[in-house]
Amino acid sequence: MATTVNPADIQPRQVANKSDKKALLDAIRMTLGIQSAAIRHNTQTFNRNRYSAVARIADYEAMKDRARRTKEAAIANLPELLRQLETSVHANGGYFFLAQTAADANRYICDLLVKHQVKLVVKGKSITSEETRLNHTLEGARIEVAESDLAEFILQVADEQPSHIIAPALHYSRERITALFKRKFQTDLPLDTGEELTRFAREILRQKFIAADAGISGANLIAADSGSLMLVESEGNIRMTTLLPPLHIAIAGIEKVVPSRSDFQPFVELLPASATGQPLTSYVSILQPPLAAPSFAAPGKTAKPREFHMVLIDNGRSAMREDSVLHEALYCIRCSACLNVCANFETVGGHAFGGETYSGGIGGSWEAGTGKLMNARFSELCTGCSRCVPQCPVRIDIPWLNQNLRQRMNQADGSSFAKSLFGSLTGSAPEDRVAPVQKQFFANYHIFGKWGTRFASLANLSNRSGASRKVLENTFGVDRRRELSPFPTKTWEQVFREEVPLKQATIAESRIAILADTFTNYGTPERGMAVVAMLRAVGLDVVLTPSLPDGRAAMSQGMIATAREQARALAEMLRPFLDSGRKIVVVEPSVLAMLRFDNKHLLSDSDLFTALANNSFEPLQLLWQVAQEKDIDLSQVFPAARSHLGLRLFYHSHCQQRTCNAASQTIEVLRACGFDVVTSSVECCGMAGSFGYKHDYYEMGVAVGADLFDQVRAAENGSPRVLVASGVSCHDQLQAGLGCSVLHPSEVLVSTLQ
Amino acid sequence: MCYPSHPEVYSGANISAISDKGIEMASTASQAGSQSLVDQFEAAAKAAAATVEVVDRSPRDLCDAILRAAGDQGCILFALPQDLPAELFGDFVGNPRVQSDPTPEEWVNSPVGVTEAFAGVARTGSVCINVGHQRSGMASLLAPLHIAVVAAETIMPQPRDLFRNEVLDGKGLSRSFVFITGPSATADMGPLVRGVHGPRWLHIIVLR
Repeated sequence: MATTVNPADIQPRQVANKSDKKALLDAIRMTLGIQSAAIRHNTQTFNRNRYSAVARIADYEAMKDRARRTKEAAIANLPELLRQLETSVHANGGYFFLAQTAADANRYICDLLVKHQVKLVVKGKSITSEETRLNHTLEGARIEVAESDLAEFILQVADEQPSHIIAPALHYSRERITALFKRKFQTDLPLDTGEELTRFAREILRQKFIAADAGISGANLIAADSGSLMLVESEGNIRMTTLLPPLHIAIAGIEKVVPSRSDFQPFVELLPASATGQPLTSYVSILQPPLAAPSFAAPGKTAKPREFHMVLIDNGRSAMREDSVLHEALYCIRCSACLNVCANFETVGGHAFGGETYSGGIGGSWEAGTGKLMNARFSELCTGCSRCVPQCPVRIDIPWLNQNLRQRMNQADGSSFAKSLFGSLTGSAPEDRVAPVQKQFFANYHIFGKWGTRFASLANLSNRSGASRKVLENTFGVDRRRELSPFPTKTWEQVFREEVPLKQATIAESRIAILADTFTNYGTPERGMAVVAMLRAVGLDVVLTPSLPDGRAAMSQGMIATAREQARALAEMLRPFLDSGRKIVVVEPSVLAMLRFDNKHLLSDSDLFTALANNSFEPLQLLWQVAQEKDIDLSQVFPAARSHLGLRLFYHSHCQQRTCNAASQTIEVLRACGFDVVTSSVECCGMAGSFGYKHDYYEMGVAVGADLFDQVRAAENGSPRVLVASGVSCHDQLQAGLGCSVLHPSEVLVSTLQ
Repeated sequence: MCYPSHPEVYSGANISAISDKGIEMASTASQAGSQSLVDQFEAAAKAAAATVEVVDRSPRDLCDAILRAAGDQGCILFALPQDLPAELFGDFVGNPRVQSDPTPEEWVNSPVGVTEAFAGVARTGSVCINVGHQRSGMASLLAPLHIAVVAAETIMPQPRDLFRNEVLDGKGLSRSFVFITGPSATADMGPLVRGVHGPRWLHIIVLR
């Protein structure tokens, strides 16, 4: 499997199309080897800045609701809006062309430029024109195209595809740009600082702006009522492109149209803040072309009258609009928050986690919608960690889109006897038995857990044997370098039944049912029992539910029918507990997230979904809430000084736990008890459920974890801290990366009990 | 789209430190609610690496303020105002360096451009320039220094306010305009660089 390709021998263009899985794996190798440091630096800066910028927007959540409603209404009413827009553009004195395909758009623009005898066209940044490969067409007609956005300029010089939807050359470090320019321009000019490189490119491009016969821009939004464009930038190249040349062409996807200019209102603040984390970028233009102001006349020439063409492209968007899942992607305003908040994207960027044009979590839907389904193969790199969900200014559930793409790709891969036999043995839903055996294996963890605990000594012996790990790797894709936690000899359910509560419940009104989630039940019953002991220590009445799979593992493999069956069965099992007034506590955060969010896609009974979502809690979240309500002094119940572990902790919360707003309470509790807690700030540990166990992604999973490991080392600074994590896969990642054992917060608290 | 946002700006030394501090000031100001929109505007504009001077509304004071900022070399591109009274610029246009109908060579080579701004935005420190009016677009874009003149009463709290009918007679809904927030900038070449295709410096004169 391991091909020995030198990362430096792989060119980004060769691996842009990832319909072949080998291209995806090569691309990961290339980016990890060459681009990763620059990508990490740049995306993480965007990410930090976004958090502080959106915190400064008044009514941020209400603005997102408004933006979402605007886009929903616009896409629902798109045919009518396009008719209105055409009328508006004509009324302004412009021309309007609706292109069904990329080729139609390119032909229209090319013919227009030829008719105007255009020799040189300057382009502001337009990712839509990347989608249509416009430059290729124009250069074929011997028209010089000058990309004027500095990042696009770099890509044009390097002949590479964008690696990010707003900062397309963000995979380039300053040093690599210097080397590229020295090589391509054969210049002796000093190009060793950002200033020098910028000045060099600026001089070249200033001459192009002055000489250009035409300018091509994109558009961030278009208002149907007035034909207005919104254009967001910082360099000034889009202003030059739309202001100086007499001929202006704006090219955009039809999904950019909103009803009126007043609808720009929420986006003018949300887009820059969500994108680069600036309150506003240097220039946000609101234009109603053709402009009344005269065009620029270069020295020795006379000014020509202005002409404006709006070219909107469909290229699959109307079909996306009819698609029950992909229509969500049409709401996307291309801010890139979902790229910058994604731990996997931060590590490999869009040349691996991206296709020929679009990248990141939302990129798969766009590549599939405007191209072929299999072009979305890179969306496998979405682990479903959900960190992008609360960051999206138009509230797109991006992991859900990717899980659906995965389901479609599973189906497109076709069925086989082995897949179908394996599926029927493991209990995959009939529709999902086309999924690769590897995926069905990860989706049906509970089956293997059940047998693993039943025959624990045999299973553990076999897990330690090289031969059986080789089989596991070759058949199921479980990387042999990942240490597998031994199966316990008893499940959590068994241990719980044997345990007698020592203390009578004293808090009558908060009765608890702890879900025996399959990960804890078959993997770490000791953590489950620590949660039981912790909740009983404050006097809560605790019962354990039966153990059923929750759908998370199946969903993450794109086996949505299986996930739906499991989610329904679990919800029905929990219903009587709810009816008897019990709150549901869930130890494994990824399962909690199922109950809080993901089940809205899976349960047809929306009342049951809401009841479960509102009554399910992370254990320490519940503890904190009860302590507040009952005025319990946690430092008396769990005095840190009594713990043999010492006071110094490093706590890493789970990605989905944070999305559920169920992480901060753990820190509050630990600190209230007297522990000294340092926390991680990474978005995800890199294991992300099954992702880091997979042979194909082992190196990448380890690379993603590097930030977390560094943070632990920095916090320890020579003097160790006890590692604490709430998620089971975070636990494994930390243990593998740092070689020491990791505890659940409840185990830390229980260590203080006599 | 070239978005400047490297840590040099936000966590490093030099400009960045000033920038971060400026944002803090602006946000504290808006929370306090006691600070005037002009004060908030000034702090936010400085945070975005613009410079700001507040002057009295007289032809003499305005002319002095523009010339102080413009330096002493070269032709000054001037886009005639549409909203501010022309008399306010009476002293300024009398200066022989001022050119309101420049030749192509002057457009290309002048070190400074002067325009009015029909609105400002307090939270972001932005000025709004009508680029559909005469040569305001080019005068605010081509030269290395752009000087924008904005009347204090046209400073609105937030960017979204420009898209409301009742604000400034709906000018934000009817014009081709640009929110300008600081000088042009990029991080595409590695570290943050100010002065790319647009101006290197933005100076804002607020008329009390």
